[in-house]
Amino acid sequence: MYPLLINRFYALLIISFTCLIASCKKEEYAIPDPVSELTNDCIKRTLGPNIATMPIEFAYAMALPKSKGKIISAQVEASIAGGTGTYLEHNSYFTNPSGQDVPVRVGTPSVNDGLTTKVNFNVDTNAATLRYYYTIPEEARGKTVTFTFSSTASDGSSASYKMGPYTISKMDIKRNLAVSNGNAAYVSIEDMAVYNNTTAPANAAKIDLVYLFRATPTTFLHALVSPAADAQYLPGVTLPAGVNRSTKLRKVFNLQDYNLARINVGLYIEDRDFQEINLADAPNYAIALRAEAGTWIQTTDNKYRAYIYLNSVNANGSAVISMLRYAL
Amino acid sequence: MYSKILCSFLVISVLFAGCKKDLPVDEDGLLITGRAECYVGNFELLGSDFVTVRSKAAVIDTVAQTINVEVLFGTDLKNVYPQFSLASDCKLEPKIVGKQDFSDLANPKTFTVVSGNRLVRKPYKVIVKF
Repeated sequence: MYPLLINRFYALLIISFTCLIASCKKEEYAIPDPVSELTNDCIKRTLGPNIATMPIEFAYAMALPKSKGKIISAQVEASIAGGTGTYLEHNSYFTNPSGQDVPVRVGTPSVNDGLTTKVNFNVDTNAATLRYYYTIPEEARGKTVTFTFSSTASDGSSASYKMGPYTISKMDIKRNLAVSNGNAAYVSIEDMAVYNNTTAPANAAKIDLVYLFRATPTTFLHALVSPAADAQYLPGVTLPAGVNRSTKLRKVFNLQDYNLARINVGLYIEDRDFQEINLADAPNYAIALRAEAGTWIQTTDNKYRAYIYLNSVNANGSAVISMLRYAL
Repeated sequence: MYSKILCSFLVISVLFAGCKKDLPVDEDGLLITGRAECYVGNFELLGSDFVTVRSKAAVIDTVAQTINVEVLFGTDLKNVYPQFSLASDCKLEPKIVGKQDFSDLANPKTFTVVSGNRLVRKPYKVIVKF
């Protein structure tokens, strides 16, 4: 009796293990059906936040069997009309053995008509991949935008592909502002501009920071200092009348936002970073800044948070800065 | 057959017994060891950009239990990250979980080093100056 039970137990155990192993078996790969009609696909090539005035790039591919005919047109319809510089490229690209994208002209330059951007093909082709550059318009800020890519073929068929919705950031961006010690030294976050000794007095109420360079002490060097900071952080500086804001700053190193630095793809500052950062106890000066360093900033009226990145610095007392700004 | 089943149970019991922990752990889940060494080996102070704010190496006096650190001009002492290197198996109290405020120069902060056997406790005063 007992030996019989034990044998059944082992048999059950073996069956269970067999079932387990069998269930792990991979499904056989099946060759997909060949394309028998006009089909399309799309990818978004741009990474990171979608910032007004900057482009979003897509690659839209379409193809149909040669026996079915040729592609007649391709078009994109955006839910919000693109800004100046929006276009659908009339070249198709292939990648050569050296890894370079080589253009092949397939149609006439695109035409924008309201929400739609269209390319009419003028070559006999049954496959193409077109790039679409959508310049984010100011009116899209803080909203979402969607895109419908579509193509038509000579056999009367059409295909379409929806992309999005994509949220457009509330951030503003300004790149490559030159600052110099004692002249173009007054930075306004509100205007996202740099004023010099001549233009600063007229914009005194909007100046948030003063750029200065001091070779000594060696720990000073390049600095962004609030006009209201302690005099020891503004040595030898005579501020124009009315320049008196106290802006909070926090130094950061290695935060090379791609949109500002254009190096190290994959690092982006987004709206959420500005929403969450707490600068309540930050000082109102940032000294000893170097190239590729940055500072988080909050204006004295709490209207804006910003991030200023130092693209480059020069030992003669100048620098190139770029900034992202978020209206609170 | 009974002996086989009995054997199987014995093997499983031994396996479970082998997993039992030998040494006790403290309230932080850290191993309490036999080590009585209790000191700070190295000290670092980083700014909000995680770059050192020291102007020279920190002076650690393990007898007086003080750490003297001189910082760079303009250092924002309200937002700094201290880093302690401790003797093996030691731990620090209070724990450092983020930035610290060292701006009250008149009242230096004190951190206590606890030895691996959790029997020796040494408070270290961190004296910061410009």
